[in-house]
Amino acid sequence: MTMSSDAQQKMEVYLGKLRRRLRDMNDEDAREIIEELRSHITDKATSDGEITAAGLDAALAALGGPEELASQYMTDDLLARAEVSRSPVRVLESLFRWASLSVAGFFILIGAVIGYFFGAVLILVAALKPFHPHTGGLWIFPNASGDFEMSFRIGFGSVPAGGRDVLGWWIVPIGWMAGWGLVMLTTYIAVWFVRQYRRSRVLPRR
Amino acid sequence: MKHSSASDPARGDKWEVQLRKGCLELAILAALWDGELYGLAILRRLEGDSDLIVSEGTVYPLLSRLKALGLVQSEWVESDAGHPRKYYTLTPAGRHRVCEMAGMWTRFSSSMSRLLASVAKGDR
Repeated sequence: MTMSSDAQQKMEVYLGKLRRRLRDMNDEDAREIIEELRSHITDKATSDGEITAAGLDAALAALGGPEELASQYMTDDLLARAEVSRSPVRVLESLFRWASLSVAGFFILIGAVIGYFFGAVLILVAALKPFHPHTGGLWIFPNASGDFEMSFRIGFGSVPAGGRDVLGWWIVPIGWMAGWGLVMLTTYIAVWFVRQYRRSRVLPRR
Repeated sequence: MKHSSASDPARGDKWEVQLRKGCLELAILAALWDGELYGLAILRRLEGDSDLIVSEGTVYPLLSRLKALGLVQSEWVESDAGHPRKYYTLTPAGRHRVCEMAGMWTRFSSSMSRLLASVAKGDR
C-alpha cells in the first residue's frame, strides 16, 4: 500500500485537529481513537493497493468534521468520568455538556448549581465565623414591612440594627456538616441522573 | 400563523432519522453476534444486511461508548493490508443484553405490525 505525501499530510492534519480536541481525554484512550480512525481512513481510502486523493477526501467527508466527531467522543467521556470521579467540578462540567444536548440536562444542571451554591454558602459561613465572630453566621432581622428575614452572613460589613445571631457558634459544626452534606447529596443525585442518562443513550429503559 | 402539515416531508424524514438512530445500538451489537469485526466491517455489515444508512462519524463514538459500558471488548490485530485493525467482540454482558434487546424489539415490532395492519391494507 502506498500513499502520496499530500494524502498523508491531509490525513495527519485531520487527525491532528481531532487529537487537539480530545486533549481533555485520557492519553491512552485518545491515542487509541486516533489509531483506530487512522486504520479506518487507510482502509476506506485504499483502492488497488494505493491511497487515492479522491478516496481520502471521501473517507474524511464520511467521518464528518473533526470538531463534531470529537464532540461525540468527549460527551460520553465527560459523563463517564463524572460517574467515577465524584468531583463537583467534573460533575458540573458533564452537566453543562448534557444541558447543551437536552432540556432534562438543563434542569438537572440548574438543580445541581443551586445545591452546590447553598452547600458552598454554608461551608463558607462556617469557615469564616471564627474570623468574624460578631457579624458572621445565620442572622435574623426585622425588615421594613415588620416581618423577619433570615440570611447567612460571611461577616463582612456591619450587622443591621435589631439583628440576632440565631445559631451563634453552633453555625461552625452545623454549617460544615450541612454544607458538605448538601454538596455530597447534590453530587450523588447528579451522578445518579448522569448514570441513567448515559445508559439510556445505549440501552432501552426497562 | 403557519401550521405544519401532517404530511410535511421534512418532518417525516426527521422521524425516520430518529427511528433509525434508535436502532443503531441494537444493530451494532447484533452485527457482532456471529464473531469479531472491525469498525469498517461493522459498517459494511450494517449496510449490507440492514436498511440502516449509517454515518461513520456516529459508529466509532458509539463503539467506544459500548466498550466503556462493558458490552463489547476490543483488541488490535495485524491485518494483511499492512496496518493493524481494532476488532470488537461481544462480552458476556453484551451477549446477554443483545438477547434482551432483540426480545424487546420482536415484541414491539409484532404489536406495531398488528396495529398497522389496517393502515397497510388501506382500510378505513
